[in-house]
Amino acid sequence: MKKTINIPIGSQHIALLEPVRFKFECENEKIVGVGSDVGFVHRGIEKACTTKFKFDGIGYVVARVCGLCAITHSMTYTASIEKLIGGEITQKAKYLRILLLELDRVHSHMLCLSHTCENAGFEAMFMRIMGDREDIMEIQELITGNRVQFDYISIGGVNRDIDAAQAKNILAKLELLKHKVLGYIDEFTNNWSLSLKFKGIGVLTLDDAYRFNTIGPLARASGLQADVRNEIDYLPYDEVGFNMQTHSDGDINARNLVRLSELLNSIEMCNNILEGLPEGEIFTKLKGKPKGDTVVRFEAPRGELMYYVKGNGSAMLDRVRIKTPTFSSIPAFSHVFMGADYADAPAILASFDPCLSCTAK
Amino acid sequence: MFDFKPIRKKSPWILHYNAGSCNGCDIEILACLSPKYDIERFGVINTGNPKQSDVFLVTGPVTFRSRERLIELYTQMPEPKVVMAVGSCTCTGGVFRDMYNVEDGLDRYIPVDVYVPGCASSPELIIDGLVKALEILESKTKEIEKPFKLFRNETNKDGVVNRRNSALKVGEEIDDEEN
Repeated sequence: MKKTINIPIGSQHIALLEPVRFKFECENEKIVGVGSDVGFVHRGIEKACTTKFKFDGIGYVVARVCGLCAITHSMTYTASIEKLIGGEITQKAKYLRILLLELDRVHSHMLCLSHTCENAGFEAMFMRIMGDREDIMEIQELITGNRVQFDYISIGGVNRDIDAAQAKNILAKLELLKHKVLGYIDEFTNNWSLSLKFKGIGVLTLDDAYRFNTIGPLARASGLQADVRNEIDYLPYDEVGFNMQTHSDGDINARNLVRLSELLNSIEMCNNILEGLPEGEIFTKLKGKPKGDTVVRFEAPRGELMYYVKGNGSAMLDRVRIKTPTFSSIPAFSHVFMGADYADAPAILASFDPCLSCTAK
Repeated sequence: MFDFKPIRKKSPWILHYNAGSCNGCDIEILACLSPKYDIERFGVINTGNPKQSDVFLVTGPVTFRSRERLIELYTQMPEPKVVMAVGSCTCTGGVFRDMYNVEDGLDRYIPVDVYVPGCASSPELIIDGLVKALEILESKTKEIEKPFKLFRNETNKDGVVNRRNSALKVGEEIDDEEN
């Protein structure tokens, strides 16, 4: 007689924001086998980038790959086109791009933290973090004019400037937010009920993190020094005070703490940018058509995002390949689920912060 | 019998399904449930169960693989139900129109009552659409509760009562001249 029970999660489930299906094979409470199906939201954006759109509009199309890390997608694509055309953008545009990338990281990490709390059963913390997240959304609306899907980055610079009054307003809001994040760190470190749900659960060891080639906060929570912001030179991350945040435990609690310390680091970077914003133009007109191929990497909120762009000297591109962070982490996801309790599965899944619309494209 | 009508009006439960969206509208729906916009003051709860929901929120242009699940969820919802298409790509296909794996909008598959535009739809727009959806839900409820006849009157010919052909077909209405 068969001893295991199969339990599916998805494709539509209250704990999931997006359609993904996991099939858990359970023996009593323990998970002994995992199967995943991630292709529900495949739309065919890569194909459309080479047949439907010209190269100067694709920056806004690839932003629709994912609503949470939209700005990183358009940033990576724009950087690769700028590399192919061979133009140089102004220092002010580079700083404004970092500002928006970091604000986007802050709101994405806050969403992930609140969702992890909700799936662990802590509804009050979910409401608290979601309420405070609106500060960041207001800042983004102030700078770009839209809350989500702000098409801020274009080839040659950025689309909007910020003035002194806006900068002052944003600095005041970030100062408030910083104190709130310090409050979360206190809560996540010292709350006894949260420790029952988070400490020692869903552990990914450093060896496994190497073996499964994990990236992003998942790898950094296991002690792996993997952050693309440390390795690239398109944007001056070393000038704005970037510090890599790592933790050694590898469990859900470690992932939360890594995200929280990244929040503080991102807020500090935003402060530095706003206080030392260089003078100059925000937009340089770049001429030419992309020719040749290039690979550009950036750090999205979930890990390394890679674009391969190949142009042939005309307005239509030959190939756009998008490698997204969640896609690389799926083997590690399946490994972490093995041996965990089924009751912890939603919280573990939320702590990975999966983005399926990125993965399926 | 217990009267559900006043309760349904005060507290419509929503079912949310992502049919290929970019997550932009999904996080805005989540933001609607958060303290700043707080649609729970209208009694709205996000439920994962189609059999208990009144309003169906769909985001995303319908992809090939999600359409079966979409229709399955729609048919499992009890009447009266209201369908809201949230986001430009759900209304028309938007930027994803004519991509090879996309069905160009929700209304090719299920009837849509409220269209909420925007990429991504802001929470204010979603709340406006939801209030509109509640009006439609109420009118649909009234429509369902209207009494109607299932049978024609029997014919009486020479003292013989004839009930043949008195049952109505589905959707058939009784002419006033007959009765």
